[in-house]
Amino acid sequence: MAGELYRRPIMFAVVATVVILIGTIVTMFFPMFTEGMHPRLENLKPYTALQLAGKDIYMREGCNNCHTQTVRPLRTEVMRYGEYSKAGEFAFDRPFLWGSKRTGPDLARIGGKYPDAWHYKHFENPQAFFAQSNMPKYGWLQSGKLDPAAMEAHMKVNGFPYTQEEMADLPSKTELDALVAYMQVIGTGVKKAVPVTVAAMAEEKNPLAGDPNAHERGEKVYEKECEACHGDDGRGGIGPRLTDDIWLNKEGDISDGRIYEIIANGTANGMPPYAGQLDKDKIWSLVSYIRHEQHKTK
Amino acid sequence: MNDYQYDHQTVKGFIVSSIFWGVVGILIGLWISVQMWKPEFNVPPFFTFGRLRVVHTNSLAFGLGIGAIFGISYYIAMRLTKRPLVFPKLARFHLYLFNAAIALAALSLFAGMNQTLEYAELEWPLDIGVVILWVIFAVNIFGTIIKRKDEQMYISLWYIIATVIAVAVLYIVNNLAVPASLTKSYSLFAGVNSANVQWWYGHNAVGFVFTTPILAMFYYFLPKSTGLPIYSHRLSIIAFWSLVFAYLWTGAHHLVYTPLPDWIQTLAIVFTLFLIAPSWGSVINGYYTVGTDWNKMQTHYLTKFFILGITFYGLQTVQGPTQAIRVVSQLIHYTDWVPGHVHMGTMGWVTMTTAASIYYIIPKIYGTEIYSIKAANVHFWLVLIGQLMFSITMWITGIQQGALWKATNADGSLKYTFMEGLVKNYPFWQLRTVAGVIFTVGMLFFIYNISMTIRKGKALAASRA
Amino acid sequence: MTEDFDSTNIEDFEAKDTARKLPIGWLILFWGLILWGIYYFVMYSPSISGWTQEKAYHESVKK
Repeated sequence: MAGELYRRPIMFAVVATVVILIGTIVTMFFPMFTEGMHPRLENLKPYTALQLAGKDIYMREGCNNCHTQTVRPLRTEVMRYGEYSKAGEFAFDRPFLWGSKRTGPDLARIGGKYPDAWHYKHFENPQAFFAQSNMPKYGWLQSGKLDPAAMEAHMKVNGFPYTQEEMADLPSKTELDALVAYMQVIGTGVKKAVPVTVAAMAEEKNPLAGDPNAHERGEKVYEKECEACHGDDGRGGIGPRLTDDIWLNKEGDISDGRIYEIIANGTANGMPPYAGQLDKDKIWSLVSYIRHEQHKTK
Repeated sequence: MNDYQYDHQTVKGFIVSSIFWGVVGILIGLWISVQMWKPEFNVPPFFTFGRLRVVHTNSLAFGLGIGAIFGISYYIAMRLTKRPLVFPKLARFHLYLFNAAIALAALSLFAGMNQTLEYAELEWPLDIGVVILWVIFAVNIFGTIIKRKDEQMYISLWYIIATVIAVAVLYIVNNLAVPASLTKSYSLFAGVNSANVQWWYGHNAVGFVFTTPILAMFYYFLPKSTGLPIYSHRLSIIAFWSLVFAYLWTGAHHLVYTPLPDWIQTLAIVFTLFLIAPSWGSVINGYYTVGTDWNKMQTHYLTKFFILGITFYGLQTVQGPTQAIRVVSQLIHYTDWVPGHVHMGTMGWVTMTTAASIYYIIPKIYGTEIYSIKAANVHFWLVLIGQLMFSITMWITGIQQGALWKATNADGSLKYTFMEGLVKNYPFWQLRTVAGVIFTVGMLFFIYNISMTIRKGKALAASRA
Repeated sequence: MTEDFDSTNIEDFEAKDTARKLPIGWLILFWGLILWGIYYFVMYSPSISGWTQEKAYHESVKK
């Protein structure tokens, strides 16, 4: 009878093992041998030694405790972070670094979103960008050295190709250099898609042009979202100066609509797109603010 | 008889060690709770949130949790088999090795040696140590059971056996890695596959560390401390087998809406929901057991620990499965809701039940009574309040975060930037620290009570000698 | 009194308790969850219903 089972520990252990293994085999072991579990995007490249060093630091510092690296196929999530994650993007991650908690934002599409200079400044002092950020400062990584011998071993274990010049170059880099290099490559296996693309609107007029308070509202948005890169009152920093003719004339006589487009869609030079984060009114108020500052300097 | 005494020293050693690691883990928990709203509390390189959080989870799950599980399981096994452990010296060595491993684990995590697999962060040399610990435990437990004096194996032993088997399979597979040096390795698995393996492990670590061994304690100490036999043996049997069968299918509910194949996610969700049944089998069994005489809630101070413990287990096992459903996961996944959920399980169910078991064991070992029932009651209420406040504030934060992340303006653009959402969490995160302090004070009452009981027992033994 | 329960009488106690019927509410829960599971599996398995999370996403964006 079944009661026998509870008198025979070895028999019991065998039955328990079988029961435990069924779900294990179906959901974990069997899928391991299906193609769906080992996809690889065509243009996904193995990490370089510097990037892998950065990824090692990401793991060492436990960045995954606060940042995820997977964008879910949900409408607002794609708007906020970019194209949803594809299975084939992670073929070189051993293990995956998707994380489980977003105390900070998702990083699956951070690669190429900001210029390097942004990352250096942000790692050194996140609060310089977002006064109320709770991210720890990581400027101390600048005094960390990279060890070519160790990195060679790491590259070998991963089976990534490398050159001796690449290794010879490592001692001249810091841990922070490596981390930034890793940041810039995350998620770049997928073709970069602008989250929300605003159609050409260079001809559009600023609907807030007649509003005398628009530039003040714009200033508030500016201080929160733009100042860290473009400096106090648009004087420039990581990003270009916004109030002189050099920037404004670069593309000929720049129109209000064109400024809107740049804010909304970003540029290839490192300006991230804001269409997914700022509504129309906020962007137009920024245009008013830039115009206001520009007239002040003139 | 002497052997038996000797083994009790080991049981006591595990209990005291687990309490020590518990203190370490709880204090670090308080520290990182402050870091969440005050980044100045990060002290690089060793004490940033990213490193401390894993020390927190490891010292509590493995130091407090598994330390107590080892010790209490030995105690239960000896009692239920009516004999000392087969290898008492090995058990002693087990205790020393356990403490050495946890200490090294903490140090290595401070140093940033982290595989980044949640609840399997330790690097490969320590993984080997952990496997040795479990092998020793398995040898002693199986040996003792096989050489038992009593024919029948009581429910608690089933759960302990299932724990040993499952942990062995889970831990070894998930930690398979290729070492690059003594302190760094790369997982054998990559990308999507590694995610699937990790959460198969991660969720079952919850199942076979925070559930089955704690149920072993529950099924043993509830009847012991109330004098009431478990209500239905048949329910125990069905609950046991359906629990250990269903658990292993559920890991992928941690990966809902990731690039993991849809069918694995769906299967995980289905089995996760099913788990409500076996879980509530134990809950109902507990309620009906005490239901034959509810007066025990008042007359036996430990009864309320067990009943509240199993109640939180019941709530946990409804909330958890609910979270797995896609539409709920959309909102609360990646938010603070999840730590709220986890801490109801760990602070409510696991710690409550473990502490009550320790309250039962320590006076028994020393042949005395508990030092102060009053202090135990204060402990009970403080940890209850602290835990509820912790979980509830985190649930509110989580729902708020999820809603802000999804909110859009009339023109379809996002309403809040990430920072605007984050800033709204601060008051709740501050409240959570307060909740943690209340819980910690409760635990101090527990520690004080246990150490005074030990002192009392030692004085008693000295006077007899 | 409290000390009466021990493994000694486990067999008697098992014989007594096994005779107890399973609570009807719990049985409903048990079978209900299995039925729900079958329904959910059919609804959300790409190979059966054709549902995939990617399709669901693209439909939500079209709106």
